[in-house]
Amino acid sequence: MARWAVALIFVVGFAAIGIFTPTAVLGQATTSKPYTPPRTPDGHPDLQGVWQVLNTAAWDLEDHNARLGVPAGRGVVEGGVIPYQPAALAKKRENFDKRATLDPESKCYLPGIPRITYMPYPFQIVQQADKVSILYEYLHTIRYIYMNGNPHPKGPIEWWMGDSRGRWEGNTLVVDVIHFNDLTWFDRAGNFHSSALHVIERYTPTGPDHMLYEATIEDPSVFTRPWKISMPLYRRQERDAELLEYQCHAYLLEQEWNNPSSTLFEQP
Amino acid sequence: MSRRVLAVGMVLTIVGWVLILAPEPVAGQAFWAKDTPKLPMAKTWAAQKAKLPRYTPPRTPDGVPDLQGAWSGAGGDNNSYLEDHEFVDVTTPAQESFVSDPPDGRVPYTPWALERRKEMLAGLGRGWPGESAERLYASPGSYCLNVAPVFSFDAQEIIQKPGYVIMVSDDTYRVIPTDGRPAISQNAKFWMGTSRGRWEGDTLVVEVTSLNGKGWFDSTGQFYSENTRMVERWRLVDANTLDYEVTVHDPTIYTRPWTMTFPKRRAGTGPGGPRGVSAASSLPALATKDPYAIELWETACFEGNTESLAGIRSLGYKFFNGVTPPK
Repeated sequence: MARWAVALIFVVGFAAIGIFTPTAVLGQATTSKPYTPPRTPDGHPDLQGVWQVLNTAAWDLEDHNARLGVPAGRGVVEGGVIPYQPAALAKKRENFDKRATLDPESKCYLPGIPRITYMPYPFQIVQQADKVSILYEYLHTIRYIYMNGNPHPKGPIEWWMGDSRGRWEGNTLVVDVIHFNDLTWFDRAGNFHSSALHVIERYTPTGPDHMLYEATIEDPSVFTRPWKISMPLYRRQERDAELLEYQCHAYLLEQEWNNPSSTLFEQP
Repeated sequence: MSRRVLAVGMVLTIVGWVLILAPEPVAGQAFWAKDTPKLPMAKTWAAQKAKLPRYTPPRTPDGVPDLQGAWSGAGGDNNSYLEDHEFVDVTTPAQESFVSDPPDGRVPYTPWALERRKEMLAGLGRGWPGESAERLYASPGSYCLNVAPVFSFDAQEIIQKPGYVIMVSDDTYRVIPTDGRPAISQNAKFWMGTSRGRWEGDTLVVEVTSLNGKGWFDSTGQFYSENTRMVERWRLVDANTLDYEVTVHDPTIYTRPWTMTFPKRRAGTGPGGPRGVSAASSLPALATKDPYAIELWETACFEGNTESLAGIRSLGYKFFNGVTPPK
């Protein structure tokens, strides 16, 4: 083989390393090429499957240390801190102190949006032309995200899970959620909202088995400005991944019903 | 207080939808006159469907029968009393049994289980003839649990995806894999059991196992056990009528397998029960003027029900933990 040909191979080889290696490394960290997800028969990005988070947001949306039964974790709030108004911050701290009894999760109520997304249970997305349904293992909860052109129904309405209306922005499913009650929390650390809560969720596929989940939280009676959480969603990889059952209130009633000193049935 | 008023308002708002997809009102809300003619159910439907010409259902792109759409529930007295009965009270009108086999319409309990059944019926505390003084168990329906097969007795929308049949209702769902995966361990028990589906010709066959045996088939304490296996059969008999059958197997409490059947009507296809069988005589045509009529809005059953649960509990009713059949 001619010596120039060998040299050329080396040059091309080094050039390839020079060009591609840093890009690939950078790409993983910051500016990967946008992923093009498969499409449903309707032509929309196909987000269907069984998904779950892998983080500690269920315990606390902000950075937190470990406690008994609680793993330490990094926060999922952009900027690190939830921008409470002063009075609301005091209430959050009180919620935290009394979380064992005040947390609505301890009563097995529907946990609201976005909390149900990052509880440690899988959920399944099912798409149809007129709606995207999210089936949560927690409490067998079904959530309909209507894509049928109907705006939010006129209020006042106070629902545990709010009213969800969706639209596609490129490959992103954008869901606008309003009509909440003021009885749910964001996590087990007492982070809370009022019935004026407005959540804008964004589900963006970033690979065949990953989505970026973002939720912008607006509630002018509790926070000084809108704030945002974001986290990856992971497709469950087990071949036969499926939703099972967490019938929270059934287990609670079974435990408390025949207990004469139970406080569960006392009215506030 | 205002929250409760709001909840009532929401219930009224969703009535439009409920009437379309769920002909039967919420449990206990229907009131029937004493002279209401006996409501038809399994016996009438079994006789009718035996005479129907063969219907070939449309297919999905995957080539399996297409059962998709919104379907009514069984109707009648809203599953309040499973077996054949005459008028008992305003929420329990005369109605044929849900049971088509055995032909007498009775659940074929073993002698041991029949004794338990009689105790539970006598302990309902509903002011019915023949009751004992003791109140026994609260109906699991009163604490807003979805159990198999009662989910199927209610209205639902069927969605099909490759390898799955998905059933969604106003407050919950079932996911039925049809990809041939094995059942999970029978040591793991669930209120809804776990479902495995397969296609046999034009019929969706669903095996329900891993049941925890704590649910009831109706509000009178007709029970199954944690050994029970159910086999459901869903088949279109015409474009707008879905035949539902479920056969219940459990040699520890029944002397033989037994079967319930009723038809479901496609939502929005006219008044009356499917082929005149269910008693859903008030089912209206699809309300096309309300763009929200086809939407399913939050029902949040348990969240609004703690007060009534406290009341039931204070009357002395116990939590039903299932039966323990003799070995």
